[in-house]
Amino acid sequence: MRPSPILLIAWQFWRHTLKSGVLLPLLGLFCLLLAYATFTGWKTYQVQNKLRKHYQAEVRHEWEESPDKHPHRMAHYGYLVFRLKHPLSAFDYGLESYTGNAVFLEAHRQNTVNFSEASFSTGLLRFGDISMAMLLQVVLPLMLFFLGFNSITSEREQGTLKILFSQGVGWKELLWGKTLGLLAIAGLFFLPVVLTLLFLTALAAAEQSQNWLRLGSILGFYGAFIALLSLVAVLVSAYSSSSKTALVRLIGLWLLWAIVLPRSTQALGNYWHPSPSKVEFEARVEQDLIKEGDSHNPDDPHYKAIKDSLLTHYKVDSVQQLPFNYSGFIMSEGERISSEIYNRHWHKLMQVYTQQNRLAETSALLNPFMALKNLSMGLAGTDFHAYVDFQQQVETFRYQLAQRMNRLQMRYISNQRLGPQDKPYQISRKYWREMPDWQYQYLNLGQVIQQQVLSILALLFWLLALWALLFYSSKKLRVI
Amino acid sequence: MYTLEIKRFLRSKGAMGGLVLLLVVGCLSLLIGRQFVAKQQQAQAEIAQFQREHIARNVRYHQDEMGLLLYYLRFTLVNPNQPLNALSIGQRDVQNSIQSVTIRGLENQKYDTDLHNPMNLLMGNLDFSFVVIFLFPLLIIALTYNLLSEEKEEGTLRLVATQARSTLLFLLRKMSIRILAVFTVLLLLLGIAVLALKLPLDNTTLAFVAVAGLYLLFWFALSTWVISWQRSSGLNAVALLSFWVVLTLVFPAALNAYLINRYPVPEALNTMIQQREGYHEKWDLPKAVTMDKFYAHYPQFKKYPLPDKTFSWLWYYAMQQMGDDESQQAALELKQKLQQREQATAFFAYFSPSIHTQLAFNRLAAADLQQQLQYWEATERFHEKLRLYFYPRIFEGSEVKVEKWDSFRVEQFAAEVEVNWAEVVWPLVLISLLVGGVGLWGLERRQVLV
Repeated sequence: MRPSPILLIAWQFWRHTLKSGVLLPLLGLFCLLLAYATFTGWKTYQVQNKLRKHYQAEVRHEWEESPDKHPHRMAHYGYLVFRLKHPLSAFDYGLESYTGNAVFLEAHRQNTVNFSEASFSTGLLRFGDISMAMLLQVVLPLMLFFLGFNSITSEREQGTLKILFSQGVGWKELLWGKTLGLLAIAGLFFLPVVLTLLFLTALAAAEQSQNWLRLGSILGFYGAFIALLSLVAVLVSAYSSSSKTALVRLIGLWLLWAIVLPRSTQALGNYWHPSPSKVEFEARVEQDLIKEGDSHNPDDPHYKAIKDSLLTHYKVDSVQQLPFNYSGFIMSEGERISSEIYNRHWHKLMQVYTQQNRLAETSALLNPFMALKNLSMGLAGTDFHAYVDFQQQVETFRYQLAQRMNRLQMRYISNQRLGPQDKPYQISRKYWREMPDWQYQYLNLGQVIQQQVLSILALLFWLLALWALLFYSSKKLRVI
Repeated sequence: MYTLEIKRFLRSKGAMGGLVLLLVVGCLSLLIGRQFVAKQQQAQAEIAQFQREHIARNVRYHQDEMGLLLYYLRFTLVNPNQPLNALSIGQRDVQNSIQSVTIRGLENQKYDTDLHNPMNLLMGNLDFSFVVIFLFPLLIIALTYNLLSEEKEEGTLRLVATQARSTLLFLLRKMSIRILAVFTVLLLLLGIAVLALKLPLDNTTLAFVAVAGLYLLFWFALSTWVISWQRSSGLNAVALLSFWVVLTLVFPAALNAYLINRYPVPEALNTMIQQREGYHEKWDLPKAVTMDKFYAHYPQFKKYPLPDKTFSWLWYYAMQQMGDDESQQAALELKQKLQQREQATAFFAYFSPSIHTQLAFNRLAAADLQQQLQYWEATERFHEKLRLYFYPRIFEGSEVKVEKWDSFRVEQFAAEVEVNWAEVVWPLVLISLLVGGVGLWGLERRQVLV
């Protein structure tokens, strides 16, 4: 390897591009969009999280300040949970706009997470979000292709290729040199992103742990992606007979990778694996519930059997004589059964969704853009896995809340029926405080990496394949 | 000359390939749209059966207490999908098209969403509106970007100039062949859509076709303008693609980000909290607080005095009512915010054909935010009607058996789709005339440089 000709060619490409008059408008436009995306992304993150934290604190306050009451009333008063945004969501919105932000948790019932940004959209959201990640994944590749399409073809068209080769430069030097030059130009675009991200991460350092590690990974993977783009641009240019052909080919690749493949693979996945509507889903849950025991049906055999065995075990004639509150026990049993059934169906639903996503995920092997997209969302805590994980944590919290109230009822509420004028049974409000507040745990970096193994491998595969192609090409390509 | 040009066009593999590819993708989009609507319609059909069974079962369980029975019973208002919805899915995949509500507080029921895979929403639907708004322009760009420059670069323009009466006419001829080809594909797809999706040939469908056609004409006009610069093929391609990126990706997304930040909706979360507190706090307050407010809202129920019991259904439903009454302000503000978003979007749509077209498609297919707001309001009326019907029966403690429960069928909401032709058509016509006119004028004025 002779470094000097490579660097010389890279330097020449850099100087030529800098002088060409195309770079500055593109760079200017990119920085403008970047500034806008950063501003809106960061502002959305801050405003939304401030709002949600404020309301979350209010919910907690009202919960703790609730007066003495019957624990089952408290179970229906329930809890509101607001989804907090990860600081890196300002970088990559991912699913943020499409997942709900608030959910009401109560006994017996799993409510939907509501109020997604998409549900309040005028239809504009169909065009997508503008975020730093979107600019890096969609706009920057196109700009790099615009800047690199004629990296080799122009030499060929101007006849300078022959001169270069007669001076002892080989294909290897030429291809590496041009790639390096284009990479340096790409660096001009990437640098402001890096600086912005470093600044924002420093601002949000206290809010989440592992931010720096996540940021490092993001920068590393995006760096690899940009190197990959430079290789693609130079190689396509080397294999094209004219600049026009190279440009058309690169535009075609970009359209395929950035626009057509992601949408169509997802659409096909969705088409092949239809998921149930809410009505269907709820009907199935209810059917199973009726089968396994419906605590609302006074003649349900399952609950009748429980009652009989309790009476025999405690050697009493009526439930009023049991040493604990009977209806609290029944509700706790009902909660256990219903949430088991619900979770079973919910996991099935998530499996269908995962199947729907699989085609797009696997398309990363053909589409490096897709690999980066999933990886980036994962690292920013805004991907499908984070969405599933949030719902699981919410359901666990809801279940514990309901069962805690049932336990309180069993322990502290009398079994004697009250007359119509009697004051209802109550327990002290001191018990409310004992319930821990809602606390969301983000997936840690290790889990994210594990979930994104396919994307990481696809990205590495692409880099290696292009690198190998470059070596192969340096032997195969012809000058004329 | 014309036939020669047509032959030349038909012989080019790239152009034909593009047209066929678009035809295939277009058919795929129709399949996807059809599946989407079929799935929703199936759910809407199933809910009727489900509601019948649900009511019958609960009536069996709770025969003695009207109040308790109505605690459980759900009644459904369906928002049926318009046939055009298969062409433009719009917001209908996010919105719930089935509202099953109890007569308890509505505010914590009406915003419930349908189940959906968020990845599908992120990647977007591959429906016909996507094919028209995103893919057709790409084909138009590919077919026209080098219309003039190619002749120049291959040195055939000089030959043409000697044969044709004017290069402008020559260019128009080439352009018209491409317009014809693209419209053939568009109309073919729409024809398939009409047959396969059983679209009614009414005003709405006609408006949909008109918008699609005009939108494509805009892209031809834009291309003409770029051609009039008389630059190289490469530069034309870059310029047109940049327009495409700005018009279909960057500008709408940037506008969306602006609207979200300009009109945030904390009211949504606030509504939720107000509703919950408005109802639950009443359990711990003297009953008179609730009842006074309830009687003030519904003076006609003053004739039902509160029974002297710790718990009564009158008090219970009055408390539920308070949840709605006290969150009404926040809910109203939420609606106003959404109206503001809607107005701002409509304003900016005048300047962006792609946004205008998407919004027009969604509106014609009854799949936009406006229609969702109407559905919410219809749900409010539906809920109020049920309340007013059942409240006296609960308060009187009338018998469950007396009621004809079979008569409570699923009801349907009919979205109002008005076709305002001027509003739908003019923005596209004006911008196309402007851009195309400047292009033609440029070609006419600056003689085509051979």
